[in-house]
Amino acid sequence: MNESQTENVIVTEDVKKTYEDNGVAVEAVRGIDLTIQQGEFTAIVGPSGSGKTTFLNVISGLDVATSGKIWLDGNLISEMSGTELSDFRRDHIGFIFQAYNLIPVLSVEENIEYIMLLQGVPKEERHERVVEILDDVGLSGFADRLPTKLSGGQQQRVAVARAMISQPSMILADEPTANLDSKTGSALLDMMRDLNEKTGMTFIFSTHDEMIMERARRLVHLRDGQIDYEENRE
Amino acid sequence: MFKIAFRNIFRQKRRTILTMLTMFGGFVLSAISIGYADGSYSYIIDLFTHNRLGQVQVHKGNYLDRPSLYKTIENYQAVGDTISGVDRVESWAPRLFSAGLASLGDQTVGVRVIGIDPDQEDAATNFSKKVIKGRYLSSQPRREVMLGKGLAKLLHADIGDSTIILSQAADGSMANDFYTVVGITDRGDKMENRTAYYLNLQDAQELFVLPGQVHEIIVLADNIQHLDRLANTIAGTLQNNSLQVKPWMEFAKTFYQAMQADLQGMWIMLFVIILIVAIGVLNTVLMSILERTREYGVLRAMGTRPFEIFRMVIYEVTIMAVMSIVVGTLISVGVNYYFSLSGIALSSPFDWGGMQVSHLYTAVSPRSIYLPAITVFITSLIVSAFPALKAARIAPAQAMRIH
Repeated sequence: MNESQTENVIVTEDVKKTYEDNGVAVEAVRGIDLTIQQGEFTAIVGPSGSGKTTFLNVISGLDVATSGKIWLDGNLISEMSGTELSDFRRDHIGFIFQAYNLIPVLSVEENIEYIMLLQGVPKEERHERVVEILDDVGLSGFADRLPTKLSGGQQQRVAVARAMISQPSMILADEPTANLDSKTGSALLDMMRDLNEKTGMTFIFSTHDEMIMERARRLVHLRDGQIDYEENRE
Repeated sequence: MFKIAFRNIFRQKRRTILTMLTMFGGFVLSAISIGYADGSYSYIIDLFTHNRLGQVQVHKGNYLDRPSLYKTIENYQAVGDTISGVDRVESWAPRLFSAGLASLGDQTVGVRVIGIDPDQEDAATNFSKKVIKGRYLSSQPRREVMLGKGLAKLLHADIGDSTIILSQAADGSMANDFYTVVGITDRGDKMENRTAYYLNLQDAQELFVLPGQVHEIIVLADNIQHLDRLANTIAGTLQNNSLQVKPWMEFAKTFYQAMQADLQGMWIMLFVIILIVAIGVLNTVLMSILERTREYGVLRAMGTRPFEIFRMVIYEVTIMAVMSIVVGTLISVGVNYYFSLSGIALSSPFDWGGMQVSHLYTAVSPRSIYLPAITVFITSLIVSAFPALKAARIAPAQAMRIH
């Protein structure tokens, strides 16, 4: 690993992912070299089947690459064991999913503090940080509510808070606005952009939503599992 | 993890209730079955041993295998006194046996003469309560006889009749005498009722010329547990190699084996109950794992280690098992306690080892609770380990694709 790799948040080198679908080998990712730096607000875009979600899963360690190398925060995750990957995700990556995926039996506060619990953060500190981040995402006063008592937009804000609470170096968001109406989606994206500027946390989206593309500073276009072209908006 | 597990069990209330009912049902059925077996067997054993045989018997040499008029326990009073000093011994009673011919009028019947100490026999076996006509034998020897009800019928005997007994005494002389019928007894055993000719022990000793001697000493303990140990203690205390001390399981081997065979049946039934619990728990836990695959995927994505997921599933099952066992314990103890007092009346009484049994009782025994508790708990954990492992091994990316 060279010097530049340690300064970057994500570095991939000829990453490939092939999986079997009903006995047929599908090459979802066909050798992607990508570098993402600290503080970027980047969207990986492309049509359905272009491999963007698969690529996001592979670079986050949710899925295993068939070949190639992946460095996150300077750590070669493509050679980590399952437990090492769990610990790495816990400490370095925040996830935002299309379907919010909050734990339905836990309150807003408990959902947000879950990762801190895994990290062994003391109770008082957990509570202070939850209060602070709920304020940041505009959900003060919602701490004791269950996810089912929130609107879709509110649930996704909780998901953003949950992803950011442990101050990971990157937030990976897979189609975060897909289940929201345009007004709620737009507000959520503005909030995420503000948080990105305020905290310097790296945001990487997988999407084909125009609203996200408009706000992203960098667009990585995928087609047939490969980078088609890139756009830098800065 | 515990918090999530605890709250998870209230998510699908119907399924949780079903799972807990399976565990609860299995527990209660097992607890009541064991309580019923313990209670009824204790009752039957107590009836069987308290009524006639005693729980431990002392004989001279191999009297039990090859009875003989001459195999007697000498100075039985001293032997009995030593036995009564042993811990757990509640009472003892001496008996003398011989065969003879009893006559009344033109009826003559082969009988088993049984010499008893009326007071000691009554203290040990409540024999006076088995007199169905007339009265119990006098404490002092007065040439009185009690007849089993079958024998009384064969002899056409009634209270006040004078019977003649004819036999052989230990000194080789002819043993014969008159005895007046004072009572007719029913001890529950058909054979004994048809042959028993009860005399005062002193009368019998005089008749058979066996002064101070008996053939058998029965011993009653404070309870029926660990009688083999009690028999060993008595044997050790007596320090007399010519005497054999045996618990009822040995001298009533057929009866004991029949009971053991019956107990095996109970264990088979318990195995079936536990199998049903296992299948029920496995089914519902697997269903819940399948339903929450996506959720486990999210937890894994956020950095939850596989073992934590495994632990969460096990916690859920543990909570349900503990709650089922606690409620089950309260219900089972209540049911077993109630039927230990009131008994269960049998629609048709049955004979067991010569005893007629019309009621059976349950028992609130510790094992009727801890055996089902351990079994249900461990079975639930074992069968949920597989789904828990399945949940722990979920691949996050794959799991989150499931809707």
